[in-house]
Amino acid sequence: MKKLLFLTLLLASLGAQATPAPIDTTTATAADAPPAGTPERKWFRPKHLVLQTGGGLGMVAAGAGYEFAKDRLETDILIGYVPKKYGGSTLSLASLKFMYSPFRLPVGEKFQVVPLTVGAYFSYTHGTLNDELKGQYSSDYYWFSTDTRYGPLLGSRLTFLAPPVAATGQPRKISVYYELGSNDLYLASWLNNQKGGLGFGQLLTLALGVKADF
Amino acid sequence: MLYLSKLYRRARVAPVAALLGLAGCNLIEFSPNDHRVPEEFTSLTEKNLARLQARPLAAGDTLRFIFTGDSQQFYDEAKDLVASVNQQKGISFLIVAGDISDFGLAREMQWVDEHLRRLNVPYVTVIGNHDLVGNGRPTYAHIFGAFNYSFVYGDTKFIMVDTNGREYNFDGTAPDMGWLRPQLANRDGARRQVVISHVPPTNDDFDPALRTPYVRALAEAPNLVFEMNGHNHSSSITQPYNDGVTYVNSDAFSERHYMVVTVWGDKQFRIKRVKF
Repeated sequence: MKKLLFLTLLLASLGAQATPAPIDTTTATAADAPPAGTPERKWFRPKHLVLQTGGGLGMVAAGAGYEFAKDRLETDILIGYVPKKYGGSTLSLASLKFMYSPFRLPVGEKFQVVPLTVGAYFSYTHGTLNDELKGQYSSDYYWFSTDTRYGPLLGSRLTFLAPPVAATGQPRKISVYYELGSNDLYLASWLNNQKGGLGFGQLLTLALGVKADF
Repeated sequence: MLYLSKLYRRARVAPVAALLGLAGCNLIEFSPNDHRVPEEFTSLTEKNLARLQARPLAAGDTLRFIFTGDSQQFYDEAKDLVASVNQQKGISFLIVAGDISDFGLAREMQWVDEHLRRLNVPYVTVIGNHDLVGNGRPTYAHIFGAFNYSFVYGDTKFIMVDTNGREYNFDGTAPDMGWLRPQLANRDGARRQVVISHVPPTNDDFDPALRTPYVRALAEAPNLVFEMNGHNHSSSITQPYNDGVTYVNSDAFSERHYMVVTVWGDKQFRIKRVKF
């Protein structure tokens, strides 16, 4: 089932490559040439806001992000929360995501499909119980960190192109996305078990989210 | 008739929807420390002990069990171990002497259980230092159960005790001597007793302030067959304190060996190492 999903994504992305034609001209022109009188976008002003669940980054994770290279590269900064009931202690997570989405397929005038987003994340968890106090272990006692995780992610999204903000002419988009991911520890376990003891599907995590460009 | 067909259609869709929902819930992981797992992977100690007690051993019967430890991230080995143990005859149960997981994570404990639940016999565990890393404490408690517990099977009382002192910064709570002493004094009607923990008292990870009280309490315990540990990833059967108490250390899963342990009489035993 999961292999099928990967295959579909791969085919979708290949298909997109074969037909390089209409790639999101609306956003590009609007961003490149704002109407006269539009206040300059401050460099630090985020391009979008994000809200997601799962992906190992929180029951709820919210944040903001920036887009580069004609919006094909993105960086999101997220703050996540996991209640004690599910995490064993109340956890707060600070995460950084880097994503690359090479293709955008228009569907009608108002929608776009981004078939493939590949990326990586890094997260730091605050609030774990047994957190390597100073002097608790010798330096090489555990080879892994309990609080910092990183891993790959791969997903798709559907974007709704909303009418631009009337006052500023800024383009607006609302996207829903999913991401399949894993982390360094799960991947290490999988790499050490190549004789059927651990299936690749068992490593996967899923994130669902909403992203609003403004 | 219409009602029936509607019911039929609904019944067909329901399991698929439930499966997707369940798979989705498990996939949507809030954190690697997230310990939500399906109900079948919770309270495993209690469930396995209930399975064990459902097949009681007659009084006076020789007891035979498998002893191993440190399953950690050796899932390929776990698979082969299960296949090998399922060939053994006359086994009552299997014991894992701690370090079920490598990183104290729920998924790891579930991955190990997915193999060990295929054993023909139930298994029980004692907590290891790796199971206490990060938020391993609530995770182990949720998935397996108590850190200190005991049970009687046939003529033998098993006392499972958390000796991972370093994980508590040697604060004098592990092993919990206040719990252990009365356990050793009262065999709950059993003829003999066995103590099982992860870190052996000979190891640097054992709370140094509790080493002497622990070793002495064992030496004074009536009909103690032996004390069994994991942690070292290397098998041994020794009497390190020359006090008549035998300490047995298991192989780790990675060493591809386990022990077939046979116990009878007041404190007679025989141990056979099996390669898998």
